[in-house]
Amino acid sequence: MPKVFNWQLNREMDYPYPAAIPKKQFAAVFDLNKCIACQTCTFACKNSWTVGRGQEFMFWNNVETKPYGGYPIAWDAKLLEMLGPQGWDAGTYTGKTIFEAAPAGRAALGFLPEELDWIHPNIGEDETSGIVPGGMHMTIPHDVWNFYLPRICNHCSFPACLAACPRKAIYKRKEDGVVLIDQERCRGYRECNRACPYKKAMYNGITRLSEKCIACFPMIEQGRQTQCIVNCIGKIRIAGWIRQPKDIDEEAPVDFMVHVRKVALPLYPQFGLMMNVYYMPPIHVPVPYLQQMFGPGVEHALEVYRNVKDDEQLLGLFLLMGSTDRWVDKFRVKDGKAFGYDAKGSEIVRVPIKEPNFVRPFHDVARNTFRHNIT
Amino acid sequence: MRITGQKLWVAGIAVFAAGIGAAMAGAGVASAQAQPQLRSVYVAGALPVTDPTSASWAQAAPVNVALTPQIVTVPMLLKGTIPSLEVRSLNNGDWIAFRLEWEDSSLDGTAITQDKFRDAAAIQLPVDPSIPGVCMGVRGQPVNLWHWKADWQTDIDAGFQDLTNAYPNFWKDYYPFAVGKPPFVVPQDFADADARRYLVGWAVGNPLSQPARVTPIEELVAHGFGTAASQSSQSVLGRGQWQNGRWSVVFARPMTTSGPDEAQFTPGGKGFVAVAAWNGSNQEVGGRKQISADLALTVAAPPAPAQQVSQAPIPAPAEPSFVKRYWWAGAVVLAALLVAGAAVLGDLYGRLSAAERKVTE
Ligand code: SF4
Ligand code: SF4
Ligand code: SF4
Repeated sequence: MPKVFNWQLNREMDYPYPAAIPKKQFAAVFDLNKCIACQTCTFACKNSWTVGRGQEFMFWNNVETKPYGGYPIAWDAKLLEMLGPQGWDAGTYTGKTIFEAAPAGRAALGFLPEELDWIHPNIGEDETSGIVPGGMHMTIPHDVWNFYLPRICNHCSFPACLAACPRKAIYKRKEDGVVLIDQERCRGYRECNRACPYKKAMYNGITRLSEKCIACFPMIEQGRQTQCIVNCIGKIRIAGWIRQPKDIDEEAPVDFMVHVRKVALPLYPQFGLMMNVYYMPPIHVPVPYLQQMFGPGVEHALEVYRNVKDDEQLLGLFLLMGSTDRWVDKFRVKDGKAFGYDAKGSEIVRVPIKEPNFVRPFHDVARNTFRHNIT
Repeated sequence: MRITGQKLWVAGIAVFAAGIGAAMAGAGVASAQAQPQLRSVYVAGALPVTDPTSASWAQAAPVNVALTPQIVTVPMLLKGTIPSLEVRSLNNGDWIAFRLEWEDSSLDGTAITQDKFRDAAAIQLPVDPSIPGVCMGVRGQPVNLWHWKADWQTDIDAGFQDLTNAYPNFWKDYYPFAVGKPPFVVPQDFADADARRYLVGWAVGNPLSQPARVTPIEELVAHGFGTAASQSSQSVLGRGQWQNGRWSVVFARPMTTSGPDEAQFTPGGKGFVAVAAWNGSNQEVGGRKQISADLALTVAAPPAPAQQVSQAPIPAPAEPSFVKRYWWAGAVVLAALLVAGAAVLGDLYGRLSAAERKVTE
């Protein structure tokens, strides 16, 4: 089996095909400290792409409450259990990926969710990690916690869905790294549904084929960010190109957050897919839980996040998240403002890092009236 | 026959496949001793092309064929659930029909929910009848696949299996551009091209996604693993029926067709046939299947030779394989003539047929 280098594991790993890193790779960063589980992203996606017959249960974008929620039910807990305890040695993964742990006769370790696993897309909503005892709400910090995890397809660099498809019906586009299921070649075998650890390939029982998130490629082609990103109420998301660590562009938003500041981390990197949606971990959640989910970079990421008020570059970039529906190729922060530029280098957005403060008098003498909101 | 490099390569693969077969035999799964034979028995008149229960099938001797789980390519089926099936064949000089029968205690007739898979069965026929079919074919030596699907059968017998079949109380208020009333019906309420756009597989013409089914059998051509492609013209008829824990399925097609890459049959001709079966409740689909070794196929010719020979059209001997095939046809006819001569002494028609079988095999 060919060996490919997975920088998220800092080592080579087995993959059924040689590495084919696309010219550009779609990526996104989600800030889990800001998601409010409003599900606007979920419905932005649903209204765009999955209103068809046979897609009723499909949420290519979903938001689940951790630690107990999951769509489909227990998608991650189940696979973690199948994989068993695995280890990291500093930044290098010493355990097995789902490809290396593949059972005989299969491309990857995985399971096919059962029909009923899909029927509660928001099971465990708002549940906390434990019971809140009386009086706890009076003191900070709380021992119980939860957080919201919005998920889309990761448009992985080493997709398990693609690896498992015996028809070669799944392909990764050279121009943007988007992973698609060819609806002409697919024969509904559901090997992708079984192999994708994130369960983002789903079966349409009416067309009897599998379907998945398309990264809103028609929007990407027009220099726009995806539906679930531009419609995000919490402004927790930004799309961008991600480069390999050796080719980093420090002015590219995703590169900056992932490679330079290392504040955004892959979801379950140990599965080995070199996935391309990155998360800023929630700062109130116990570190061991986060490490299981985001790998060994968690403590560093939390520290960077906590100190963002002193990091003008990162702060400026945070403010560009959700500020434009255009694709931000590069950003710069100067003179107290954050600027976003398109592929041609033209400015597409400008955001002040600090909004100017206007204070109006409580008593407006001219109108002889009182204001409730004076700033 | 001119031996080309390609043919040598094919032969190499065939030897490899035989090796695998032998390995399987070593494991006590199948016998590689004598290649199993399948004789397509000639019957006059209409064939039971969509009736697996027809009494006509009694005229074809059943051949029991061992199946082994597919373990050559990923994904594999490590443990099979259908150890063998029974094959018969009939032809009437114009059509050829095969009938497969096997035990399956569970009827898996739909594939409309996330974790349900259909039962299925298939016949593999090398396009060049002189070369045994390597599993799923190889480049330059394609195989035809006639793939019967239990969910297509249900679509035909009971109407297209829609959401309301899985969820009787299903309701949805609105689908873009659909006509009709909730909970809506596929295909009629989605006939409009704009409505169909949301059923992508249907819109792009994927045969799996077409709600109007003419036949439960899909005709494909394959040049190797993962290459099976639906043929542009579909001419295989058939029907499957599940009764008392057994499937019986008929596959039938005109003996000659005009489509490219299609197996052709001639009266008295020889060829190869392999079979495969899938058990839906074991989530068997695609490469997760059990397969047989090749059976040597003989297509019996009509028994009244003299007149028919003079009228038989002579195919253009353009390709060596045609010549070879025709040589066999000639030999069979000659043998039949000899036997017919002997039969004049008092043998009945039934005994004539038996004697012919002896000579041609
Ligand atoms: S997240 Fe799943 S469906 Fe998406 S590319 Fe990765 S393996 Fe494929
Ligand atoms: S990228 Fe587009 S298709 Fe994918 S989840 Fe978001 S909105 Fe849906
Ligand atoms: S729209 Fe944004 S804030 Fe709302 S649930 Fe989605 S990711 Fe979270």
